[in-house]
Amino acid sequence: MPANARELLTARIFTHAAFPVMKVVIEDVPAMKRRFQDVKAKVQFMARNDGDTVGAFLVFDEAGFRVEQGVCGDPDITFSFPSVAKMNAMLAGKLVLPSIKGWTKPGLLIKVFQLLLSLKLMMPNARPKDPERKKLKVKMIFYMITTALSQYNKGGDPDMTKWTAKQPERIYQMSVEPEGIAAYLRVRGGLTKAGRGYYTRRRPFVHMRFHGVDGALPVLLKDVEFVESVGKGYVTVEGSPEYAAAMNDFMQRIQALVT
Amino acid sequence: MAEITGTTWTVYDANTMTQAEVYGRVLCELGEKDPRIIGLTADLAKSTKIGLFQERFPERFVNVGIAEQNLFGIAAGLAKSGMLPFVATMAVFASMRALEQVRTDICYQNLDVKIIATHGGVSFGQAGTTHHCTEDLAIMRSLANMTVIVPADGHEAANVVRAVVDWPGPVFIRMGRGFEPLHYQDENYGFRIGKAVQIADGTDITIICCGVTVFHAAEAARELKANDGLSVRVLNVHTIKPIDVDAITKAVTETRRILVVEEHNVLGGLGSAVADVIAASGKGCAFTKVGLPDCYSEVGYPEDLYAYYKLDTNGIIEKVRELLGREFEADENWEDEV
Repeated sequence: MPANARELLTARIFTHAAFPVMKVVIEDVPAMKRRFQDVKAKVQFMARNDGDTVGAFLVFDEAGFRVEQGVCGDPDITFSFPSVAKMNAMLAGKLVLPSIKGWTKPGLLIKVFQLLLSLKLMMPNARPKDPERKKLKVKMIFYMITTALSQYNKGGDPDMTKWTAKQPERIYQMSVEPEGIAAYLRVRGGLTKAGRGYYTRRRPFVHMRFHGVDGALPVLLKDVEFVESVGKGYVTVEGSPEYAAAMNDFMQRIQALVT
Repeated sequence: MAEITGTTWTVYDANTMTQAEVYGRVLCELGEKDPRIIGLTADLAKSTKIGLFQERFPERFVNVGIAEQNLFGIAAGLAKSGMLPFVATMAVFASMRALEQVRTDICYQNLDVKIIATHGGVSFGQAGTTHHCTEDLAIMRSLANMTVIVPADGHEAANVVRAVVDWPGPVFIRMGRGFEPLHYQDENYGFRIGKAVQIADGTDITIICCGVTVFHAAEAARELKANDGLSVRVLNVHTIKPIDVDAITKAVTETRRILVVEEHNVLGGLGSAVADVIAASGKGCAFTKVGLPDCYSEVGYPEDLYAYYKLDTNGIIEKVRELLGREFEADENWEDEV
């Protein structure tokens, strides 16, 4: 049975928005950085879909880490799923066992598992105490959210495409200050692009300024509602409240897809 | 209400002028405090409203007759003698008929002469192209030492007249015919020579304007927000020279789309001054100047001419929509960053 549009959109968000966040872990966590320092490998994730294949692969080489979409010819490890829905479930942290090719490279397999497990830091039930882990969690979520929003549009969600289509060039910026963790979504006439850091070429149309990592976490963990968090001073929203609310609505829809 | 009989309609209705009447009243107020202030005109005391000053201080008023070159020559002499001349005539005569005297007698010597140039732009519509003035800002801003100011309405005109008393050197104050709608509620909004006034904040586009177009730009911003959901910044750049470089650079950086609207030839006026700032900043942006497209103006009622040249609210809305659709960056990579 072929995957429906919602399942394909979910898979797109995992492979385009969640997988790339592994780069943050590799770059920011010293132990993980050491672990992948000399790794040169390709790791494939793929799901069967009505005679076709949906997937992406991780590339570790001299240039560092990157994610490429589709199927590569010579993977070192392959995670195969019987359906897109099963792949989505596993990536959402549910207990699904894929078929794994690559047992002959146990060292690499263990490293990849560790990397995959590191993504669980983005889950709502992950509540780190260590300040560095807290910062990492916020950064990973920011990067994931902005890219997921962009992919939600590129994937053709009707409401999101309608919302972006009528907008002139606008920047939706998120930041945590004073730590300086920042990511943005650029929108123009139906196009979207997720970016890292601060967009400096124009002032944001909406800027969500979280006040410190400890202010950002209760909001991102849904310990407090967004409106309440503004009242409590965890976050300041500069710019259009209507558009900020609309973006928040899309973020919640995406969260419902991936959890 | 005066009978409408061609050009005299405007002259008679000068009695109810907003912009000019306000400046005339303020000038009288200042004249009470400062005995150096002296009024001059070239047979246009009534229509330029400096006649109010003449009535109050006849001993400090000179009507030279229809002789604008003499008007500015005499003003230069009075300034050299320690007086503070306010010279009122139509913009077209101040900026062109008497240009040599303004340049050589006044600006070259950096004299304290304040020029009230009324009927600027196409505001004297039905009087015809000869009485329109759509080149004055370009001419005046090219004269060294000259300060050039275009107030938005009567309240701003009052602020300008108060401010120029202590502002050194020659000043060219360009006004309309006097029927311009009021944008400001009163004079208390923080006017300073050389500092733009941000009328509305926004991030999608900035409309930079001066004079009568300020009222229309503010209206357009409200309409665009209500109907198009656009966030439009409006900057009243009343001082064309010295121009507020910081406000313009900030607008370029923060909105990346600049629409300049002015009641002037698109060459040499506010739009060109803004373009100079943008070019010097090294920042790219989408940019459009709205004004008279390097032509001699048509003849008609001012409101019809504003509509014809897209200087009114509807015209500005049209131009904003047009500019928002324009591509301007080479940075067209829409791949998400990893």
